[in-house]
Amino acid sequence: MENLKPKRPDSYLALSIISTILCCLPIGIVSIIYATKVNSNYEDGNYDEAVRASKNAKTWGLVSIGIGVLFYLGFFLLYGAILMAALSDGNF
Amino acid sequence: MGISKLKLSLIIFGVLAFFGILALYIYWNPSDSNIFPKCPFYSATGIYCPGCGSQRAAHQVLNGHIIEGIRHNYLIALLALVLLYQAFTYIMNDLLNKNIPNLLHRSKVTFGILITIMLFWILRNINLFPFTELAP
Repeated sequence: MENLKPKRPDSYLALSIISTILCCLPIGIVSIIYATKVNSNYEDGNYDEAVRASKNAKTWGLVSIGIGVLFYLGFFLLYGAILMAALSDGNF
Repeated sequence: MGISKLKLSLIIFGVLAFFGILALYIYWNPSDSNIFPKCPFYSATGIYCPGCGSQRAAHQVLNGHIIEGIRHNYLIALLALVLLYQAFTYIMNDLLNKNIPNLLHRSKVTFGILITIMLFWILRNINLFPFTELAP
């Protein structure tokens, strides 16, 4: 029976911690919760659940990082535009 | 080869952006310049999030002040530990064909990390002496 154990799905723990720390968005926490569910489901033998949790962990981690990157890009673009406007007005 | 033009330009853009951002964080200190965005969660709520202070930490660590960097955000140390451990098990199990059990595959360990981060989040918002050390 033990040979029937499917491969452990990736828990994306590192991705979820990175998204929590670097993107200043608590959405990363959701990703860590799913990462925890991957391992507990796998240990309990709920392999389908584990795979689903793994997909969720990945999605939430990427969403969190995506929102963070968009936010930073937006900020730098806006800041650049304001700087350019100030420079062309000559009052900077 | 199999790499499309779009993929290639994305990779080049990504590498350039990476080094650009790296240079930005090496040469400018987020504490005394306002070109860096403030944490959106902190701006909106006035509550520190688990990621607050990571830009200042990145600046200090990239300039070799590792202890000072970690004091801005202790989770940077946790992240470094997890990544180093992942690299270690990858080298041992996948490259050297050893069979070392990966502690990060235990639900208790992952759960512990989750609890650590939640506790860190709550405690760093308490404005009393031992906890102020955790604030960014």
